[in-house]
Amino acid sequence: MTISTTASAHVDTAPARQNGLGDQVRIALYQVVLLCVFLGLWEGLTRVPYLVKNTFLDPFFISRPSLIALQLWKWTFGVQAGFLLPHLASTLGATLLGLVVATSTGFLVGLLLSQSPTMAKTLNPFIVSLNSLPRIAMVPLITMVFGLGLLAKVVTAWFVVFFLIFFNTFKGSVSIEKHLLQFCQTLGGTPRQIMWSVRVPSALAWTFAALPNAISFSLVAVVIAEFVGTTRGMGYLIVTALSTLNATEMFAAITVLGLSGIALVAIAERVERRLLRWSPQFNER
Amino acid sequence: MIALDAIRKTYRSGATSHTAIGNVSLSIGDGEFVSIVGPSGCGKSTLLNLIAGFIAPSAGEIRVKDQLVEPGHVPSRLGYLFQKDAVLPWLTVEQNVGLGLRFAHMPAAQIRDKVSSLLKLANLRGYENYFPYQLSGGMRQRTALLMTLACDPRVLLLDEPFGALDSHTKINLHRELHEIWRQLRQTIVMVTHDLDEAVALSDRVIVLSGPPSRILLDRRIDIAHPRDPYTVRETEQFGTHLRALWGVLGKEYQRTPDGTAAILGSAA
Repeated sequence: MTISTTASAHVDTAPARQNGLGDQVRIALYQVVLLCVFLGLWEGLTRVPYLVKNTFLDPFFISRPSLIALQLWKWTFGVQAGFLLPHLASTLGATLLGLVVATSTGFLVGLLLSQSPTMAKTLNPFIVSLNSLPRIAMVPLITMVFGLGLLAKVVTAWFVVFFLIFFNTFKGSVSIEKHLLQFCQTLGGTPRQIMWSVRVPSALAWTFAALPNAISFSLVAVVIAEFVGTTRGMGYLIVTALSTLNATEMFAAITVLGLSGIALVAIAERVERRLLRWSPQFNER
Repeated sequence: MIALDAIRKTYRSGATSHTAIGNVSLSIGDGEFVSIVGPSGCGKSTLLNLIAGFIAPSAGEIRVKDQLVEPGHVPSRLGYLFQKDAVLPWLTVEQNVGLGLRFAHMPAAQIRDKVSSLLKLANLRGYENYFPYQLSGGMRQRTALLMTLACDPRVLLLDEPFGALDSHTKINLHRELHEIWRQLRQTIVMVTHDLDEAVALSDRVIVLSGPPSRILLDRRIDIAHPRDPYTVRETEQFGTHLRALWGVLGKEYQRTPDGTAAILGSAA
């Protein structure tokens, strides 16, 4: 056969990469500037006597970055060294466990229902109504049923994240193009083979795409569960700080949560990018 | 090899029904390259879907290799190429080409050998580990063709396989297809909008009417093989066939409102 290869594949050229790096540095710079302005205003304004006296810009309410930093130091390496870690570990552990359980069950149910239009239609109103429930309102009940420990936190996270994963997987599985399935049929694929080589990967792609959101939701759910009933975790720290009117401790805990959120989402995005490396959305600028 | 006997296909949705195929009987011999042309919506693709067993006829029977085609069961060793390439985006070129062989439980080492010889055949060597999004439309369609060829089909159904490609890529793929067919002599049924393409490649061109479609013309293209699908266009025979086909098809376009300017242009 004589053919000329007519296409050039997408090649990541060096100048483009440099350009990308330059962009990254510039954006990081903007981020640092924005953070400094925010912290500087916070620190400065809470030192203006007039504002402290007449507005909410009172360290009693909103603390102050220097005090928060000091508090964080105290919790980690200072006089209370080792205080923070068990709480943080408890929250993150529950977050990840909830995420894993919710992702696997959401994926399975989504895939299963996508295979049975009758079952999907039958269950639709129930699923929609469950999903529309203000799930936070269920947290006291969940705590009553599952106790004050890890289980209640995981169940809360599952309750929040499950639907997100379920809907995404379901949509991914039913939106698969018919001609892909037919083509694989002509290649001799049995229904089971087509399930594993076409339907599952196609649905998984959508499941993975929901991961960064899912992990944020999971963290939020766990912290809320900790507000209600537990003796451990970042949510517990926030609630105790509130009850002792200690704004610095509260903001220190919130800062830790914010940083954890950034780290978790960054990891989830990295995992997603790795798993979906065949998708153009992660490879073209 | 392929026999359609008094095929009718009616689609129903609620109270309305649309008869895509009126009454079509057709017999295609072993190793024949047959093209089907006709106005848009005339049920050309429906015909292929019926032969592949993707859908059931409303009346009539279809046989492939003397076996009755049952809806839901694709006849064995039947390949199908869609207009939109059907490569799996999460598999590399190499994994895609080997997919049918994995379905057939061929040992991994044998798959590797067969895939590598196929890739060599289509000048896709060096692209083994590329994902489809990194390839052009022509390369993706070529990958899809290799996926099909890996399963050694005896019947190839082509549904406007080159419709979405630019003319340069198209001509290259015409040459490849012609060469593959000359070597392996599959029975090929190709649906196309492009009369030039139909005459350049086929042994027979069948013109369908607008819906409910029936066969208006079944013309043998007696240009000797091997042909060069590009230079053949300059021969006198080519022009004669084209004019004869266009004489029938052009009238049909005037009768049906949806003949498009692009099609008129290609046969002018």
